Amino acid sequence: MQTLKIQCYLCRQRVIYMLFFVLLPTLAKAGTPLVDISIEQHLFIPSEITIPANTKVKLRIHNRDATPEEFESWELNREKVIMGNSTAIIFIGPLLPGAYPFFGEFNPKTAQGKVIVE
Amino acid sequence: MPRRLPYWDKRYLFFLCLFSVFLMPPVLADGTVVSKIYHPYVQALEKEIEVRSIYERDDDRNDQQKYKLAYGQSISDTWFGEFYLIGSKDGGDAVEIETYEAELKWQMTEQGEYSADWGLLFELEKEESGGWEVASSILVERELGRFVGTANLAFIYEWGDGIEDELESKLALQMRYRHSPHFEPALEIFTGEDYKGIGPLIMGREMLSQGKKLRWELGAIFALNSDSPDLTIKTAFEYEF
Repeated sequence: MQTLKIQCYLCRQRVIYMLFFVLLPTLAKAGTPLVDISIEQHLFIPSEITIPANTKVKLRIHNRDATPEEFESWELNREKVIMGNSTAIIFIGPLLPGAYPFFGEFNPKTAQGKVIVE
Repeated sequence: MPRRLPYWDKRYLFFLCLFSVFLMPPVLADGTVVSKIYHPYVQALEKEIEVRSIYERDDDRNDQQKYKLAYGQSISDTWFGEFYLIGSKDGGDAVEIETYEAELKWQMTEQGEYSADWGLLFELEKEESGGWEVASSILVERELGRFVGTANLAFIYEWGDGIEDELESKLALQMRYRHSPHFEPALEIFTGEDYKGIGPLIMGREMLSQGKKLRWELGAIFALNSDSPDLTIKTAFEYEF
């Protein structure tokens, strides 16, 4: 029984070692293209942006309204609340070519946009 | 702009956590290893009510049921706090509140900034029987196209009346496929001391109205060794508002 417990422990340790060594290189940081988007009167401006395929892009979103807005996109796998009169950063990609819609969850009827990946 | 740890501080913290893993002694489990898998993200202004259940079935003992009711809300855009009431039911007995738990989650990196996203979870638990538990967990998530891999590595210390003081570790892994917002299948693996289990999970989310969502999940975790309960069914509903 004690031998079995030691074997289980060693097996678990191996999994943990592998997990960390696989994830170790993920701390690397690279230069990222920047795209600015504003929220004004509950609209995204511009509402459509074009970015290159297979490239990570940094979206800098300026909420110029007094009320908060939530950038939401299941297609981009992102959701982030941007407080009123403040700026937030959202990283997207690398993405395959296509259209990826996003919207403002607090004003979904007006705040809509699209990321075009080419 | 949210305050984030500088890059070098994050790396220092990472190596500190890595080093602590190597020091973990082998110990035996005495709680439920199958639980919620946490994602390393926090949304500002978010409030949620959460209901969870864990049902354990084993041929060699009574069925065990555990229920969790929680209220949580974000404290900032990087910190989220949650308070749990945990009740359990053993066989035909009535449900009894047996544990109180407080959690704090810290989003350490911006989602997508690095190849993996990092967070930490701190938990403090008090049992009605007099036992205490404190835990810290490393939360890691990485996107691989439509697949999303999540790992939770927890270090737990227990002490108090009726239990032996001990240090434990638990590892939970989830690989999720983003099929649609309403349906995402996943595979989960749990290992903690003498427990080992693996099983499928389905989850989804429904938009209810402006700023309100309901997230749900249902999973069945099967034992990989004779020390683990044969089957564990987990369910969860989270109402975000």
